[in-house]
Amino acid sequence: MAVTVKQGTPFVVLDERDRIVGVGPGAESQFGPLVGSVIWESFPGSESLFKPYYDKARRIHEAVEFVQFYDGNVARVRATPNEDGLLELYWEPLARLDTLTLGSLVETLEESLELLDEHEADRHRESVRRALRVIEGGA
Amino acid sequence: MSEAVDPLRSSAPDAYFVLDDDDRVLYVSLEFHDTRGRGVGHVLWDHLPRAREVYEPHFIEARATGKPVEALIFYAGRLKRLLVIAGGDGLAVHVENLAELDVTNLGTLRLSLERIERALAGRGSAQLDSRARASLQVLP
Repeated sequence: MAVTVKQGTPFVVLDERDRIVGVGPGAESQFGPLVGSVIWESFPGSESLFKPYYDKARRIHEAVEFVQFYDGNVARVRATPNEDGLLELYWEPLARLDTLTLGSLVETLEESLELLDEHEADRHRESVRRALRVIEGGA
Repeated sequence: MSEAVDPLRSSAPDAYFVLDDDDRVLYVSLEFHDTRGRGVGHVLWDHLPRAREVYEPHFIEARATGKPVEALIFYAGRLKRLLVIAGGDGLAVHVENLAELDVTNLGTLRLSLERIERALAGRGSAQLDSRARASLQVLP
């Protein structure tokens, strides 16, 4: 997969047990207070979405990049193991669901679904679209 | 009060607010104190982004006809049952939250969409706002 996340200061740095040990300036307000804690404890439901990629990066000792949906946001994430055994995370926000109205939900959801990686999102993409179609038909 | 109106009024959700003719909030019920209490004295639309396009058509209908208007609307991630009643003291807007989107991940999103589907199925007499339905048709 082509690497497209801009390099620079990592968004967040994790140790080998997924504890937050470093926070970049762009993440200070959100992640700063969480330094020392295991990242999954602060973001319920996120472990199954992100950890497999982080574990893969550690296992192959190479950067892994992916696009993921979590908490209404779609982001491109690059997980890079460094020489100190830590995992540097670079984060590029791509889209955010707008749930204010059904119109804005449909528009931003479609945009979000299109951004997700094909091999991970096909099943969810179709089921979400199917549910929306059922709502339309049932109303 | 006509007999046809009674069932609607008796099923009015406890959470409600009252508007004057300019959509200024005159009163909020106890259930809305936390979320809308500070809005008393202010025009409703000033504190609810893009709510006007969702709510106002039902307000206009209730004022124009003098009859209660019941509708299902989607706003701020929630499917809501709306009952709008025009009266001498203003426009009473009763709101019941029926289902809420969970955007934690695509799986929870799908499940919450299915909850909305079930809520709609259980409210066969009410219709989802036509403007909202039309917007869904952009999906492939």
